[in-house]
Amino acid sequence: MRRRSSLPVTFLVPTLAILLVLSMVPTLYAIVIALQNRELSTPSYSWVWFSNFADLFLDRRFLNAVWVSVKWEIVTVVATMVVAIGLGVLMFEVASPRLRNVYCLLFIIPVLLPRVSAAFVWKFAYHPLYGIATYPYRLVTGGLIFDPLSKASTALFAVASVDVWQWGLFFAVIVLKYLETLPPQPIEAARLDHAKRWQIHAYVTLPMLKAPLISLMFVKMIESLRSFDLIYVMTRGGPGVATETLDMYAFSQGFIESGKVSYASAMAVLMMIATVITFTMLWKRVQA
Amino acid sequence: MRPYPIGLGRLLAKAILALAGFLAVFPLVWTALNALKNNVDIITRVPRLVFSPTLANIGYILGRDSVLTGLYNSVVACGAAVLIGVALGLPAAYAVARYPNRFAGDIQFFVLSLRFLPPVAVAIPLMVIWLQIGLYDTLPALIVTYSLLTISVIMWLAIPAFQAVPKEVEEAAFVDGYGAYSVFWRIALPVAARSLAGAVAFSFVLVWNEFLIALMLSSSNAKTLPIVASELSQQGMNVPWGILNASVVLLSLPPLLFLGVLSGFLNSVFRQKKS
Repeated sequence: MRRRSSLPVTFLVPTLAILLVLSMVPTLYAIVIALQNRELSTPSYSWVWFSNFADLFLDRRFLNAVWVSVKWEIVTVVATMVVAIGLGVLMFEVASPRLRNVYCLLFIIPVLLPRVSAAFVWKFAYHPLYGIATYPYRLVTGGLIFDPLSKASTALFAVASVDVWQWGLFFAVIVLKYLETLPPQPIEAARLDHAKRWQIHAYVTLPMLKAPLISLMFVKMIESLRSFDLIYVMTRGGPGVATETLDMYAFSQGFIESGKVSYASAMAVLMMIATVITFTMLWKRVQA
Repeated sequence: MRPYPIGLGRLLAKAILALAGFLAVFPLVWTALNALKNNVDIITRVPRLVFSPTLANIGYILGRDSVLTGLYNSVVACGAAVLIGVALGLPAAYAVARYPNRFAGDIQFFVLSLRFLPPVAVAIPLMVIWLQIGLYDTLPALIVTYSLLTISVIMWLAIPAFQAVPKEVEEAAFVDGYGAYSVFWRIALPVAARSLAGAVAFSFVLVWNEFLIALMLSSSNAKTLPIVASELSQQGMNVPWGILNASVVLLSLPPLLFLGVLSGFLNSVFRQKKS
């Protein structure tokens, strides 16, 4: 009775066609632009083929941006997972059901905020003189100045802390929900064997959750690619180029500093190739 | 089972949790308080909890044309993109969930892979394209671009929601003589409504919070609220902080309205897993 219906065709084909057009047109056009030498200031252009890509590999600022992006991915993904698993396990262990609900609600709030809002909130909080987050330091040291966002050594971590504030707390809720879906028998068995609480989690529950935790990490890796708003509002890539990730550098090359749209697009194309290959491979692995 | 003694470790764990809960909301509460302060109460070395509140900042924000235009643009662009996402994403998700074919896996992966695309890689070519067509800096351009986001996210989240609808209910409707389309309209949609509402709310939050694409696709007319808010801060410390804080509060309110729907959505997803 379902078999002869035209429903799958009428429901799927238009949507998929639109998605394909909307995604393939910009993607292919990005490659076309990357092979030209377009600039925002002039409408004329010519084909330069791969010279944009060749220039990129001699561009020390580009190489720096690659390195900053890699650092950003590692720092935010690792810190998010540590916070999420830590808080998730703590909630599972010591919070009553009612308290769990309260924490879950509180921990979802930061991730719902626009990144721009989150960035502002913490930019104010990190202000060296008037910020609420630097106040304890001023209090303890008797008024010494600590300016995390304008020191090259701390700026990346200060911005990353906002990302972890949003995602780590949210993922803690998910880790708790995963722990709640586990069957109680293995945990009981470990308890009867006099396992300590941390041992139960390290050797029983977390290994049981390996697959969902890896999927969670995968989601975070994808979301960490979207760091632009935070960095744009908090540091604009500074101090110097200490927090200039690839999308920030592409944006400033294409729009702020020189309007070299083609050069920026070449960078974007490299990013796209790298992420699509990496994530496709990871996804196949996660699924397998 | 043997109860564990209430020890120092347990106390410490509770303290860490309480601290995390505090850290989750306090920065926001502080921002909301600052939105009610005069500048002299914000620019202080020692944070002030007691102050005489003022509505001047909020009044100023709501009276600015740029903010109101941004609000209008955000509402229209996000609303339209979500509607398109619902109209195209939900039926497609239902087809994937209920009429399995050999491409189902590939379709799901394709929809997910749209999320891998770096936003800059999409925004740069689109900017050039919209400039050439003459739609740069207009709401239609933004709506079309956002539709890519909303359709794919709604589809991705709605597939499991439709799969969770008990098959027997739909089969019974078929037996009663319903056609395939009316089963979708009258059975699947209402039964899955709560989960679907979560998926739709999520897609709204996603586009409402979107920044990079809006920044690149607008120069003056089509600026959304996040862009307007970020521009206020680029004027440096000349803008009173209270006003900036008020704009952050205004920008953050709409997504927070969905807190209840989204946490309910999360719970229902995990309840399905458990059963």
